[in-house]
Amino acid sequence: MAIPKAERLMNLALCLRGSGRPLTKRELRTTIEAYLEVSGEDAFNRMFERDKDDLRELGMVIETVESVDGEIAYVARPGSNRLPPITLDVAEAAALGLAARVWQQARLAGAASGALQKLRAAGMPEADGDRDSGSVLEPRIPGGDAAFEPLMIACRERRPVTFPYRKSTAARPETRQVEPWALECWHGHWYLAGWDRDRGARRVFRLSRIMGRVTSRAGAFTAPVPDRVEVREAVAAWAGETALGRARIRLRADRGYPLRARAHEVRRIDDEWDELEIPHGHGLGAWLAEFGPDVVVLDPPDLRADVVDRLRAVAKG
Amino acid sequence: MASNAIDRTRRMLSLVTYLRDRPGARVEEVARAFGVSEETLISDLRLLPMCGISYRGGDLLDIDTDGEQIWWHNADAVSGGAREPLRLAADEATALLVAARAVAALPGLREGDREALLTATAKLEAAAGETARASSRLTVTFESEGEVFADVDRALAERRRLRLRYYSPGRDAVSEREVDPIRMVVVGHTYLEAWCRRSEARRTFRLDRIAGLEVLDTRADPPALEPRDLSAGLVQPAPDDPEVVVEVGPAGRWVAEYYQPESTEELVDGGLRITLRTADPAGLRRLALRLGRDGRIVSPPELAESAVTAAREALAAYE
Repeated sequence: MAIPKAERLMNLALCLRGSGRPLTKRELRTTIEAYLEVSGEDAFNRMFERDKDDLRELGMVIETVESVDGEIAYVARPGSNRLPPITLDVAEAAALGLAARVWQQARLAGAASGALQKLRAAGMPEADGDRDSGSVLEPRIPGGDAAFEPLMIACRERRPVTFPYRKSTAARPETRQVEPWALECWHGHWYLAGWDRDRGARRVFRLSRIMGRVTSRAGAFTAPVPDRVEVREAVAAWAGETALGRARIRLRADRGYPLRARAHEVRRIDDEWDELEIPHGHGLGAWLAEFGPDVVVLDPPDLRADVVDRLRAVAKG
Repeated sequence: MASNAIDRTRRMLSLVTYLRDRPGARVEEVARAFGVSEETLISDLRLLPMCGISYRGGDLLDIDTDGEQIWWHNADAVSGGAREPLRLAADEATALLVAARAVAALPGLREGDREALLTATAKLEAAAGETARASSRLTVTFESEGEVFADVDRALAERRRLRLRYYSPGRDAVSEREVDPIRMVVVGHTYLEAWCRRSEARRTFRLDRIAGLEVLDTRADPPALEPRDLSAGLVQPAPDDPEVVVEVGPAGRWVAEYYQPESTEELVDGGLRITLRTADPAGLRRLALRLGRDGRIVSPPELAESAVTAAREALAAYE
């Protein structure tokens, strides 16, 4: 039966962390059973490189040194691998436990539980089981976008990427070359902010519109990375949540609750109609058209024309 | 699966440190502390005796369990740095810090919980050091419609019934109903899951659509229900819901993203033919009006007709 990968990684980790001295590749090859079973140097070398990468992903710092007889050797020194002392109380432990559960993205969900386990091993107390959990609130961070993981790593390592991107109004995707800065989740969707090389400008991309593989490119960033990346502001403005002015409308009584909820002012005109002053932002015309005969736009004229135009298109059938 | 091997290795590395200090630890407690099932823990415990620093001539970990307790007969087999808890990886620091910051910023969170999260976050940042910086590349914002949040939260904590005035966009009307709260879920927006006394069914209410509410003195009494799996999204159309077909031009392609279509078909002009199911087709009149020249309802014909009628009526006010 093949030796489980977890056993192989565990053995390599214990050797590198516990040996107290650098171990040569040959020593590791001849003492870890899973490596003994590999036939062929190429196969072993590939496996060994992957394994070191996996352990680094788990947080290990593995140093490469040259041994006395000129061989390459590896060691994970205690000083650079140890979790610094951290003391958390029961309430803090419980709060982190709740926070760790919000990820639905598999890699980060695993990483969050892994972090808690390390903290537990470092002495983090357990939340009292009988404590009123009170966690009636269950926030969730969505996963599921295939582009998330490669982009997260590219942002972290500052690596340029390319991906096929379909704008919301385009039929076919187009290849975009981007220097990725940051990812942000807002209203349940993931967005990427970065420098669009072809357009020579900063852009925000919605991950669900990335239609294929995210590919890393060689080379460094060409544009400076801003200290603060404003993803949410850009998306909010586009979604019409940033008011650019005000609009005046007539609204049928008892209708259009969301319009009333954000109105600056509501005035009763007669038994049938109210007059409202509402914030005017991107996309308001489309939204007002939804209310059909229950809304009449009074001002500004371009908004009025936009709504009339939309209604005419529908009225034609 | 490879990622399972990663998670498992990570867990076993922490287990080694944890078990070293706790001879005779109880399986049940360790499983709870590590957030895994007892089965998973036992399978880890079966694998650990295959591990060790074998270059020294067979010092494998002599760990065994009778299913109740865990014994480690040669805890000294693990030497040097391997005894100590491992530093946080970039992924781990990111996962925990980003989540903690997002939850701490929820407007409706209880103050004590927020306080605990903030102090824990600061300690974590200090312990993660340089690694914590990776987490600045990710941000999550939960929208938690603050005004009604506190009342809903109180109703949940005190198990009391709520009277809601709730806005339905489909009918563009506010109606009143009494509900027994079950839980609140944040997926983009904040939702209340509750048992609706009027429809005698489980319903989900978006907090920003609650036009008003009152916490009643009546004790909430929702039937015992299996928690719904919300990973596929909150709105899950039923297979026997009526079918609606919409054709959109390129500018209306967002419809396929916004709804969960049953199928989509590319059209020659770069548009889409979208088939979806909804419990309330009349509510899609709004969609037809919104689309304007960017799309139209193909079927059912009554729905297409009602949009045309509404648009004509609306235009009358401008003439």
